Amino acid sequence: MDRLLHPADSDAGDQPISLSRRGLLGGSIGALTLAVGLRPVAAVAQAAATPLAAASAPAGPPFNPFTALLQIRSDSTAFLQVPVIEGGQGIFTGLAQVCGEELDLDPAHFVVQCAEPGPGIAALGTRLSTGGSSSMWRNFMPMRRMGATSRAMLMQAAAVRFEVPVDSLSTSDGKVIHAASGRHADYGDLAGEAAELPVPVDVPLRSADSFRWIGKSVPRIDMQDKSTGKVVYSIDLTIDGMLQAAVQHASRLGMQPVRLLNEAAVRQMPGVHSVHLLSGCVAVVADRWWRAHRAVQSLRAEWKEATGDTPRPMPADFSTEQLRQDMLAAPGPGFLAEAAGDAAAAMGRAAKTLEAVYDAPFLAHAQLEPPSAIASWDAARGRLELWMSNQASLLFRDAAAKFAGIAPENVTLHSPMVGGFFGRYFFYDESNPYLQAIALAKAVGRPVKVIWSREEEFLRDALRPAVLVRFKAGLDAQGMPLALESESVSDGLYARMYGAAYDKFDPTVVEGIAKKVYAIPNRRIAHVMHRYPPMIGAWRSVGHSFNDFFMESFTDEMADAGGIDPFELRRRMVARSPRHATLLEAVGDLSGGWRRGPFTAEDGSRRARGVAMASPFGTEMATIAEVSIAEGQVKVHHVWVAVDPGRAINPAIIEAQMNSAVALGLSSALFEEVVYERGMPRARNYDGYPILTPDRMPEVHVRIVESGAPMTGVGEPGVPGVPPAVINAVAALTGQRVRRLPLARASLGGSV
Amino acid sequence: MEITVNGAVRIVDAEPDTPLLWVLRDNLGLTGTKYGCGLAQCGACTVLVQGLPVRSCVTPVESVAGLPVTTIETVEQDDVGRRIVEAWVAHQVPQCGYCQSGQVMAATALLKQVAAPSDSDIAAAMTNLCRCGTYNAIAAAIRNVAQG
Amino acid sequence: MKRLLASLAIPVIAVLAVGAWFTTRIPASPFDGQGKSSLSTTLERGEYVARLGDCVACHSTERGAPFSGGLAMGTPLGTIFTTNITPDKATGIGSYTLAQFDNAVRRGVGPDGRRLYPAMPYPSYARLSDDDVKALYDYFMNHVQPVQQANQASTIPWPMNMRWPLALWSAAFTDGRVYRPDPSRDASWNRGAYLVEGPGHCGSCHTPRGLAMQEEALDGSAKAYLSGALLDGWYAPSLRNDHNTGLGRWSEEDIVAYLKQGRNRHGVVFGSMMEAFNNSTQFMTDDDLQGIARYLKSLPGDPDRDGPPWQPDSATTQMLSSGAAPAMPGAATYLARCASCHGRDGMGRGAWIPPLAGATSLLAPDASSAINITLNGGGRVVAGGVSDAYRMPALRSQLSDGQIAELLTFLRGAWGNKAAAVTAAEVGTLRQHTNPASSEVIVLQMR
Repeated sequence: MDRLLHPADSDAGDQPISLSRRGLLGGSIGALTLAVGLRPVAAVAQAAATPLAAASAPAGPPFNPFTALLQIRSDSTAFLQVPVIEGGQGIFTGLAQVCGEELDLDPAHFVVQCAEPGPGIAALGTRLSTGGSSSMWRNFMPMRRMGATSRAMLMQAAAVRFEVPVDSLSTSDGKVIHAASGRHADYGDLAGEAAELPVPVDVPLRSADSFRWIGKSVPRIDMQDKSTGKVVYSIDLTIDGMLQAAVQHASRLGMQPVRLLNEAAVRQMPGVHSVHLLSGCVAVVADRWWRAHRAVQSLRAEWKEATGDTPRPMPADFSTEQLRQDMLAAPGPGFLAEAAGDAAAAMGRAAKTLEAVYDAPFLAHAQLEPPSAIASWDAARGRLELWMSNQASLLFRDAAAKFAGIAPENVTLHSPMVGGFFGRYFFYDESNPYLQAIALAKAVGRPVKVIWSREEEFLRDALRPAVLVRFKAGLDAQGMPLALESESVSDGLYARMYGAAYDKFDPTVVEGIAKKVYAIPNRRIAHVMHRYPPMIGAWRSVGHSFNDFFMESFTDEMADAGGIDPFELRRRMVARSPRHATLLEAVGDLSGGWRRGPFTAEDGSRRARGVAMASPFGTEMATIAEVSIAEGQVKVHHVWVAVDPGRAINPAIIEAQMNSAVALGLSSALFEEVVYERGMPRARNYDGYPILTPDRMPEVHVRIVESGAPMTGVGEPGVPGVPPAVINAVAALTGQRVRRLPLARASLGGSV
Repeated sequence: MEITVNGAVRIVDAEPDTPLLWVLRDNLGLTGTKYGCGLAQCGACTVLVQGLPVRSCVTPVESVAGLPVTTIETVEQDDVGRRIVEAWVAHQVPQCGYCQSGQVMAATALLKQVAAPSDSDIAAAMTNLCRCGTYNAIAAAIRNVAQG
Repeated sequence: MKRLLASLAIPVIAVLAVGAWFTTRIPASPFDGQGKSSLSTTLERGEYVARLGDCVACHSTERGAPFSGGLAMGTPLGTIFTTNITPDKATGIGSYTLAQFDNAVRRGVGPDGRRLYPAMPYPSYARLSDDDVKALYDYFMNHVQPVQQANQASTIPWPMNMRWPLALWSAAFTDGRVYRPDPSRDASWNRGAYLVEGPGHCGSCHTPRGLAMQEEALDGSAKAYLSGALLDGWYAPSLRNDHNTGLGRWSEEDIVAYLKQGRNRHGVVFGSMMEAFNNSTQFMTDDDLQGIARYLKSLPGDPDRDGPPWQPDSATTQMLSSGAAPAMPGAATYLARCASCHGRDGMGRGAWIPPLAGATSLLAPDASSAINITLNGGGRVVAGGVSDAYRMPALRSQLSDGQIAELLTFLRGAWGNKAAAVTAAEVGTLRQHTNPASSEVIVLQMR
């Protein structure tokens, strides 16, 4: 998964940061004059690639935080630019906590925004992308150093002003104080002077025992605005002189519009400015979006089939049902991803073997904010400004520059707050409206906002890959797993997203099956490459989202075959890993002690529980779900989650993320499936693609275990344990092993 | 066409079958009301018409002529609305926040009608979708307001 | 109409064999002996008749070339496919003489004497005037692009696939006569009667069928004519003046608006009627629509069949507006899934979203249409080239059979509606045999 975070890494440039429209998003900047310090490419700090490296990475070369990313406004609030987007995961609050801790400014006084590509972020030594649940661990030390450096400069400025030694000064929530004289100055008052000072190096950081905000359930900084509709998402933005556009995509990717059959009539519709043929779609530009939408829906075009040079056209006869048949038949052995011992030999001497085939469908992100993009094209200066939801602004900026025929530094890309993402906004070129916005802005000579209707979004989302896995296990005479073989049949996400060669296994296709903590001495884990047409992308917890379902369900099958309770089997298989053993006991304890059931609950319903463990992105998870069945439908009553992210920055946010992950994981287990027939997705809105409704939300109980391991993320890891915990509980309750998601496909009979 | 939004009469230039949602967002600049699905599936566009929750994406603007429309932008001017917002903040309900305008409006409508809703009243009234899964926090916040 | 069930096993078995000459003979046509060149009609004239007859709906598919056939029609005996009626000489009707064309359209007989399945509504097309048949022939021969596409054989097995018994069916159930104006009525009424009984073939869906799948009546002289029928998963309601289940509460203006705009204050076209509207009725002239309205409003209702007249009742509205959770599960589902559009008062939104209070589909004896549209949603209504602003979602993925049954049972008793309860089994049956409507805007091209 780490590769997802490795776009062309350097975002250093030699142009000043564009502040032209920052006021639009961040509010006024205040008193600071922004003379930007530039930094040569060579001086850019190397971004840490792992949580461990990030925790111990040395400070990069000094840079002036005031001129780059952290501005102190005249009212002593801080305007902080960070290299990640906020889409509900609480990272803006978390980074304000971390920076504020060192700056000595209450996180509540921060305004946080995603940075634009430019030298500031490069100097920080981190990455301008959001993913892999890495936003906190990547930015923890850089944000602290920036806060501490800023505080030192503010103190130095006060020392100059007060004409006292700097070590006679202290700070307290936005003020520098000279205790001896009783004098003090607000940060906002000192910021202008501080910004002119030389940048100190190796400013010491606070000791952990003096933290006021780090580790505490600090309230999120965007709650009031998000509860009153004041947050401005990409879809809400308006630019002076802007027109709005709607598109009608080709029904299948690769098809191109040839000509319009009723252009004159559509031009006459109210508000219509112009009608366009674009690559892969037709578009209407109008004064308002609804008018553009009505018009483009009425537009009739003649389409031609994809030409030979189209990378991956969608065939007219593609269906997911046929794909599944093909994947079932896809021959092994595939690319070896992990091997230990001698699986084949061990299988031969096993006391018992079992086999099973699991599969998981394509999934849509189904975030509530439909994609949109605004492009403003300055033809005279050859400059482009973009506003768009995205998780990888460097890649989008560079692609936008290429498309517009200008240098990347002539593109200013803003990344507004996103209305949910879950992996939706990585660099999937055909799944984002930004190129359409650029083409239209150039064509009409005015800024254009493109909004995809929900139906167009369901047609062009980059889906979670469909994956099928063939398992075989060998048990010893005591019922303990001796050998495990797996063949995962899927396309390669790296190949699709980054153009990786198809000549080896894809880590995302096996993550969760490979590198599993369980002590199974003989393993052969492989990836059978099977290419397919639908666009695929990262979906919250990526490969773990399906592989932990496969692996943890099959673990229960191994337990049953060996006559060992599934909780007990896991206990034995993690016995040599204290971190996992502790976590498993924690979730058992949280649920009131492990009981598989079936048992009769207080309300008279028959219930059972299932357990699952997962290690997504270095965070350790243990999950228990309790289910009953009524009228053939699974009801999940409780989900208990024990999460070990090494260390917790904001426990309340972690708990919220676990609730969120349970909802998404459960939604995927119960309902979700993108079905293609005749080359098109059957569902084009939430009516045909149901997502979890309030009445199906279980109670969620969370315990955070801080093992002290290097800090890892919390945004995605809660998801993958949920489907297998639920499926294992259903198996315990009904004796029926569901190996194909979603559960809505399974016939579970009546009340058990 | 004349419509009454947040207490003010507004003259808007729109076809009569235009959804109220898009009149609010594009004609009046009230972007707190969100577009999610356009099919009355998600509820992100919920506003109040005569105090009752209405999904504005499926409400032709013609059908609300002469009726009072309240949007998230003025919800805090209402005593119940203000308490709902306070509870939302206290319970740290939103995540991405995109659906929350609609959630707050639906909750406000419920509590204006039923001061002490039962859990089943809450379940019946709160049917808006949230992809971030804030459902438990929503229910807790409403119960909190209901209990005064 | 599209997937007309051509169940013909019964007559095959029931009728004794008679001379083969009868069952394979070529009937006489007034155009016998006329060549292809004796025609002089305009493109618009023939195209209009094709619109009236809605030929495109069955003889085209969404993805295929206009009139090249290939639409599958399910029957209890197997699937039949509509034929290529482009003027391609090898695979279409390019070599047909006018008389042969006439025999196919008005008498259901192919040039080789083979009988057509009455999925082709020739019992109604029999009413077509000679002039309209000539115009239609001219249109297909001279203005439709020839497309080489071979017809697909039906999947009906032998011996059920023998065509000759259809001649006996024709003899028994069609009268083969051209429309004869009623001198006691005005020209507009007569034009309307011609359109409804003839090219419009409204009875194909709206008239009940007998044991041999024959329409029980082919014109307004019989009470059964257009009195409502179940076909292909949709209950086509009465077009007579039945207060509850027909057009009793509709004015002539309402009927014209419905056929011209696809919507009025009583309802919006859906199911098979949406297809008829999208492809046919909206293209009719105002005078023709006025005639249709006039004719339909002259057909008396049947109070015995229709039951006591619907009266609005506001108790449901009050219950749904209280803010409290409804006690009935169906009402709770209505509030959660339906009330946003159809309203707590069940009145919909003007002409844009249809009312459910007093809705024909909820008062009809057969709940199939209500079940079907709840499961599968509505397709896109395209009026004057502009697609609809609002569409009915498909709820099949969200609601179980039991929940839909509860919902519809509630609706068939709400706001004064009085109709029989719906069972989960009925919903389950339709769920199995239907598919969700496409949310794509589909416009079948004629050229």
